[in-house]
Parts: sequence; structure tokens; C-alpha cells
Amino acid sequence: MARKLRVWVDQQACVGNAMCEAIAPKVFRLNDNRQSEVVDPAADSEEKILEAAENCPVSAIFVEDAETGEQLFP
Amino acid sequence: MTAVAPIQDDLFTADVIADPYAYYGRLREQDPVHWNEKYDLWVVTRYDDLVWLTRHHELFSSAVFKNDPRPAYPAIDESDLGLYEYVKNYQGDQFIQHDRPEHLEMRRVMHGYFTPKSMEAWRPFVQAAVKELLDAAEEKGSMDVMRDLATPLPVLVIAEMMGVPREDRPYIRQLAEKLLYIGRGEYDRMKPLTEGMRGMIEYVSPLVDRRIVDPGDDFISVLARGEKQGVFTRHEVLVNPSLLLLAGHETTINLLCNGTLSFIRHPDQWALLKQDPAGAAKRATEECLRYDSPVVSIQRIASQDVELRDKVLRKGDRLRWFISSANRDPEAFANPTTFDITRHPNPHVAFGSGTHHCLGATLARVEGQEVFKALAERFPSLQVEADGLDYQPSITFRSLKSLPITWH
Ligand code: HEM
Ligand code: HEM
Ligand code: SF4
Repeated sequence: MARKLRVWVDQQACVGNAMCEAIAPKVFRLNDNRQSEVVDPAADSEEKILEAAENCPVSAIFVEDAETGEQLFP
Repeated sequence: MTAVAPIQDDLFTADVIADPYAYYGRLREQDPVHWNEKYDLWVVTRYDDLVWLTRHHELFSSAVFKNDPRPAYPAIDESDLGLYEYVKNYQGDQFIQHDRPEHLEMRRVMHGYFTPKSMEAWRPFVQAAVKELLDAAEEKGSMDVMRDLATPLPVLVIAEMMGVPREDRPYIRQLAEKLLYIGRGEYDRMKPLTEGMRGMIEYVSPLVDRRIVDPGDDFISVLARGEKQGVFTRHEVLVNPSLLLLAGHETTINLLCNGTLSFIRHPDQWALLKQDPAGAAKRATEECLRYDSPVVSIQRIASQDVELRDKVLRKGDRLRWFISSANRDPEAFANPTTFDITRHPNPHVAFGSGTHHCLGATLARVEGQEVFKALAERFPSLQVEADGLDYQPSITFRSLKSLPITWH
């Protein structure tokens, strides 16, 4: 069983580069402001989500283990 | 009622070049989406409009060179028109000049190389390069920040990323300096520019051949992989290394020079940085990017009719969005004309926004942070040596011609 993740986007930092959406479109979607929102943190693998977070040019994506609170990114 | 003076449309007058903030600031207040008759151009100056339009890439095309039949501006020498065609072709193959879906595909080849995490690994190299350049300056007793620090540093870093051997660095520096003519308004700028572009292609071509069969972890190998995967044609591979040199050169130079000048002009903020160079450098660099932004404006072409405020932009109209006025928009920043290195948050748009947001932003930040930190640690009593400082006659870049300083 994959562990549960808590994933969020810092809206003050997000510049709408849309890389996260390109990498994990089931998890991240750009809203009307063209900023990223998490639609479903369980919709893709942990690996894909971390890849999206790593590729955010302004490190606006945060990922942690939902149960332990362990910070997985950044 | 006092009559308001009409807005003059010449963007290259000595006044506008010396102080773009007054001119574009006035536009931002009086006519934020302004039709400039002289250049057939919409001039967009408000922060929220800039963010909106850069994030609606489907409405505003970046493929300016391929879609804009109008002549070069500022004007170029008649006899150089053939060269201009060459330049347009060369530039049109850069991914910055592509729209989705190609843009995304092309950018993804390189994007992974430039993530904040991978760029952090370059910090020690940047530190060593800064140290080497400042050692040389210290020995001489004075320096031109432009010539001795800001111009060589980005080239050293990019040459290392390309895997250029040490003995070829002076040659790459020479090409890079020719490529700098892109942002400069000289009438006869096309000749050095095309020489630089051709030189780069000739230099990079054999490197790519080698990297296709024997890939390493350098940037040329990343591009070679893009060709192998069918994302890039060979021409696109070959123009992309100058992408790094072009896109990352004048821009970084301006951050380093304009930032240094901002500190010299604001001794209180310089004192603040000196108290804790390592701790303050991060936010200070962001404020340098906002306060005297390296890039003044960027172009787009409307892909369809678009309403913006009280104006209608027609399909095919060209427009320019002005970073320099957006970053001083009072609707977005408290005390926008104050240089405050502790400002936070600082959502400036010096790197643009949206899908074309600067690929090299983290690298540029690392270079800025390391330079301002090292200057504060090593040269606490910086002074400008010249009286009048001149800027390049460009509406794209905020570029000093030189910045001579002493520290005695
Ligand atoms: C302080 C330094 C820099 C500033 C102010 C700056 C500014 C910008 C801006 C405003 C854009 C947006 C262009 C647009 O929307 O059409 C941009 C794009 C770009 N920048 Fe930078 N830049 C800097 C440094 C660098 C460096 C060091 C590199 C390369 C190593 C670089 C590579 C790029 C590339 C490749 C693009 C195109 C991205 C795309 O179209 O997706 N920049 N930059
Ligand atoms: C990637 C490599 C790049 C190449 C090869 C390139 C090439 C060119 C060329 C050939 C021109 C026309 C010059 C002229 O008419 O004098 C030009 C203009 C321009 N470039 Fe780039 N460019 C690059 C990257 C960038 C980046 C990253 C930015 C933004 C930060 C940028 C912003 C502009 C703008 C706004 C103009 C219009 C110039 C003006 O009207 O003053 N370019 N570029
Ligand atoms: S990659 Fe980062 S900046 Fe881009 S949309 Fe996603 S969160 Fe925002």
C-alpha cells in the first residue's frame, strides 16, 4: 500500500509555470488564476508527485507524509 | 483644469532610457494599456495585467519572430536586412519563441537540468568563480563591475555547464560578447550578432556529435538526448546553447551591475547587508531584481482579439509588457520606490510569469546571492568612480554601459 501524502501549493510563490500539471495532471490543476491547486494527492504515484515538486521552478510545492508529518519535499 | 501633457511615443529618447521609471510609471497611472502609434505597439504597464497576460499564453503568442512581418526596431542598416533574416531564423528556433504544445515539449528536455535542487549543486562552483574574479580585482585595486565581474561570471558558469574545456573559455567569452549585441540598439548591430551566432553553431556542432555517442552529465548531452528522442532538430539543438549564453548573459550582467549600484546609492541598505551578508543576501537579491529589474520589457503577439481594460487588442497586434513598471506598481508593492532589502514577500515579476517563466531563474539567483555576499564581505566601502552613468539605448534590457568602482 502506498502511503498517504499531504500535498499543497504555496499560492504566494506559484508563478503558474504549469510544469506540475504537465508531469502529474491528475494531481495538480491550474485554477482560474492560472495557479496550481492540488485536486487529488492520491491520484498518482509518490514518485510522480515528487518529480512534479522537484520540477517546480520556484519550489512552491510541499509534500509530506500525511500520517507521520515527515517532510518529503523540499 | 490643467491640461495633461500628451504622452510622447518615442521610447528611445535620452530621458526614457535614463529613467524608464518616470515614463512607464506615468503610463501605468494614466493609460495602462497604451497604443503606441510610433512603433505600432501596445504598451502594458500594470502588475496585474502583466501577470494575467503572461499566464494566458493561449491568447498571447511568444512566436514573435515567426509571426511578425514588421521591420526591426530600433531600425537597422538597410544593407543588414539579409543578416536580420538570418537572425530571425536563428532566434525563431529557440524554445522561448515557441508556443504550446511544442514549447512544453522543448522546455521539458531542459527543464530538469535547471530545477532549484540541481542548481543548488552549482553554488560551490559559482563561489569559486566569484572568488577568482574578485581576487584579480583586489590585486588591481579597482574594477569595472561590468567588465571584470558581471560579464565573465555568467560565461564561466555556462561554459562549465556545456563542458567547454578551460582553454576554449576565452573563445566562448568572445562569442558571448558578440551575442550581447542582441539587446543593444546600435544601428549596425546585426553583423557582430550574426558572427556570434554562426561562431556558436560552428563551435557546438562537433560537441553535439560527440555527446550523441558518448553522453555525459553536461548540458550539451541533455540537448543531444533531445535530438535522439526526436524533440529537437539538429538546428534547434545547435541554437540552444546560445540560448543559455544569450538569455543568461545580459540579464545576469544587469542584475549584478544594477544591484551593486542600488547598494552604493542606498548606504543604509548596504550597511544592513554588511551586518549579515550570508543571512541577508537572499532577500536582498530579490529586492535588487525588483527595484532595478534587469529586463525592462518583453514582447508578445495577440493570437486572437482580446479585451484588456478599456481596450481591444486585435489578432496580430504586437504588445510589450513592462516589468520595470509592474515591479513598482503601488497596487502590488507597499512603498514601491523604496529599496528595502528586507522586503518580504516580494512577488516581483523580474523573471516573467506563466509557462515562459525564466528557466535560469534559480541560477541567476545563486549568482546574485554569491556576488552581493562576497562584495559585502570583501569590499565594505564601495564607491562609484564615475559621475554620470550611461545606459544602453534598449527597451528590452536595463543595461549600464560600465560601472567603475573603488573601495578605498
Ligand atoms: C537576472 C537574470 C535573469 C533575468 C532577469 C531573466 C529574465 C527572464 C524573463 C523575464 C523571461 C521571460 C521571457 C518571456 O516570457 O518571453 C526569461 C525567460 C528565459 N530565461 Fe531568463 N532571466 C535571467 C537569467 C537567465 C539565465 C541565467 C538563464 C539561463 C541559464 C536564463 C534562461 C532563460 C530561458 C531559457 C528563458 C525562456 C523560457 C521559456 O520560454 O520557457 N535566464 N528570463
Ligand atoms: C534564448 C536565446 C535568445 C536568442 C537567440 C535571442 C535572440 C534575439 C534576437 C535575434 C533579437 C532581435 C534583435 C534585434 O532586432 O536587434 C531578440 C530580441 C529580443 N529578445 Fe531575445 N533572444 C534570446 C533570449 C531572450 C530572453 C531570455 C529574453 C528575455 C529575458 C529575450 C528578450 C528579447 C526581447 C524583448 C527582444 C526584443 C528586442 C528589442 O526590441 O529591443 N530574449 N532576441
Ligand atoms: S510548477 Fe510550481 S509554479 Fe508552476 S504551476 Fe506548478 S506549483 Fe505553480
